[in-house]
Amino acid sequence: MHRKLALAAIAMLCTGILALPAQGGGAVSIKAVWMEYDARFNTFWQQLKQDFEKTSPGITVDTVVVPWSEGHDRLVTWIAGNQAPDIAIVGTRWILEFNKMGVVEPVDTLFPKAFLAKFIGPALEARISGRLYGVPVALSARSLYYRTDLIKTPPQTWQDLLTVAQQANKPPDVYGIGVSGKKFAELTEYVYYLYGNGGDFFVINADGGYGKCRVNDAAGVEALQFMVDLANKYKVTEPNVGENDRGTLQDLFLAGKLAMIETGPWFGGMVQERAKNLQFAVAPMPHNQGKKQQTLLVTDSIIVFKSSKHKDAVVKFLQFAYDDPRRLEFDKDFGMLPTETSVSQNSFFQTAFYKPFIQQLPTAKPWPLMAEWSKVEDVMWNAVTAALLRAKAPQQALTDACREIDQARGVK
Amino acid sequence: MRRVAVAAPARVIGAQERLAYLLLAPALLLIAALIFYPVSSTIATAFFATDKLGRLTSFAGWANFGALGADPAFWQIFRRTFLWTAIAVTVKTIAGMAFALLLNLPFHGRRVVRMLTVIPWALPFPISAMIWQWTYNSEFGLLNHFLSQTGLWPHPPAWLAQPTTAFAANLAVDIWIGLPFFALVFLAGLQAISPEFYEAAEIDGAGPLSTFVSVTLPVLRPVIVMASLLSVIWTFNDFSVPYIITKGGPINTTDILVTHLYKTAFQFLDFGPASAIAVITFATLLVFSLLYARLYFREVE
Repeated sequence: MHRKLALAAIAMLCTGILALPAQGGGAVSIKAVWMEYDARFNTFWQQLKQDFEKTSPGITVDTVVVPWSEGHDRLVTWIAGNQAPDIAIVGTRWILEFNKMGVVEPVDTLFPKAFLAKFIGPALEARISGRLYGVPVALSARSLYYRTDLIKTPPQTWQDLLTVAQQANKPPDVYGIGVSGKKFAELTEYVYYLYGNGGDFFVINADGGYGKCRVNDAAGVEALQFMVDLANKYKVTEPNVGENDRGTLQDLFLAGKLAMIETGPWFGGMVQERAKNLQFAVAPMPHNQGKKQQTLLVTDSIIVFKSSKHKDAVVKFLQFAYDDPRRLEFDKDFGMLPTETSVSQNSFFQTAFYKPFIQQLPTAKPWPLMAEWSKVEDVMWNAVTAALLRAKAPQQALTDACREIDQARGVK
Repeated sequence: MRRVAVAAPARVIGAQERLAYLLLAPALLLIAALIFYPVSSTIATAFFATDKLGRLTSFAGWANFGALGADPAFWQIFRRTFLWTAIAVTVKTIAGMAFALLLNLPFHGRRVVRMLTVIPWALPFPISAMIWQWTYNSEFGLLNHFLSQTGLWPHPPAWLAQPTTAFAANLAVDIWIGLPFFALVFLAGLQAISPEFYEAAEIDGAGPLSTFVSVTLPVLRPVIVMASLLSVIWTFNDFSVPYIITKGGPINTTDILVTHLYKTAFQFLDFGPASAIAVITFATLLVFSLLYARLYFREVE
């Protein structure tokens, strides 16, 4: 008797387990992974989902929002576990790595030509060997934010920057300029000084590919030396550079403790929301005297995964998401620059705040696009932090970094 | 002389026994799926080259281990993990004992204090780590504010900004989280000691110290051994504290094996070397546990 009961119980348990994966059949469901932008509000994605589902019966959007600092690793975990979403926002620089895994669907054949013709040139960054692998979703150029109550004329060159920082520096109440030495999802602020000094990460081969690491050349070393001097020689940065990343530097500026910070357009909205009384303005990124002004251009893209079973629904959803009013809403909410020509003509972007960002776009330079970028970035972070913490001289730190990077990439 | 082989009586699995196996089957299947499969697949991956998705591409022999052995950064992290574990477990054991002895004394509000002691252990570890990250913040954090305002340390360091202080800060949090476990386990052990032992010691004229050394410690020995063995395994593999508080930084100086493993696998997508690190961690802890258990049982005998 007991045995029969037990057997029945086991049978029920087994059928129960088998029935688990069968939930939710029928309607088409798209899984979308969005990254969490520094924003005033984060209701955009929820609203988009609701609006779309209302107009498209039979399709539901399953939205997951992930912080940037975890985004890459989470996507990798999902991909490795055969649980890739249908679409995801990625830093365009990650696409090479994902493409090497063979999981990214080219978007140039997926979407109609008219859809892709909407975008401005610099936004279409996700090109690999002539194919487009991502729909641009966010565009930013980096600029200098400065406190107008402390600084009358914004610096144009590094030399001005140092003078201005020295004048504004009143520790421990206000520090001249923020420099971060803690690893973050991107190599701030070294890249700004590198590009502003005519430097670059890699030698470009004759075929356009990336050759040897070159941050240990004169331009690269001078850029790092300048950052180190700001922190250690002139002491015009916050004293604890090893503790701060881009996020906590922004917090310091919002708390009124920094006179200058180098970051992207999203920060304007954050200041207005979280530190209403802070008087600030934005200027193009300073460059070394005698060198060309150049800042960092960053694009994020939406990629479609090859494994997606509902590509038609994905195309329908993205076409819905990319109408002009919604894109303007996105740019406003997340403080991004317009990626579409039509949106960029909106009066919203014709202000003193946006001018420096838009003005820098034609000369701004993106990150290198390479599959090994996350390794390169990690090694570079260690080099920059080691120099800032005086564990190594800039020349030594960057020479060691280049050796490690070339070795990791198998470049001789 | 010819030995007569005695045939074992044919064992018939009784109905009851069969039912037992049947009932155990789901659990065994789950264990096989959730423990045996991942462990064996990790061990296999350690001997293969993989693509960026972790799929095995070609047999690599000991190459993944060889590459780790040739990497000075790996040895640094390996040594640091031992240092991390040794300091943390020693402090937790000694301080946990002190706490337990205090909590065992009769005083007003003892029950409340005992309950409060559990809090660091009861909180989810990642949340504790996040709270401490903010507590350590040199501009906004409570710790430095407290130290400088009270004059205890007028100019405290930016704890997480420098390698040495960041390592110490991480250690302190690991200890803070793990201490209640020791305190409570030891307290339970203390309460199980019969008062007669102490009475006998008192009659023999033993002072508090010699009572502790010759009565309390020997009786508590099995508890101490088990608690510290568990703690060695947990501390060796403490991911949330160093990963959340400093992400292994600055300059990877607070990385221990488990955070290094995570970065190797999910940041750089080097699944072969990452699996090799996992195998090394597993083997190290296994050898340690075996030695420890052997030592313990020998002494008990």
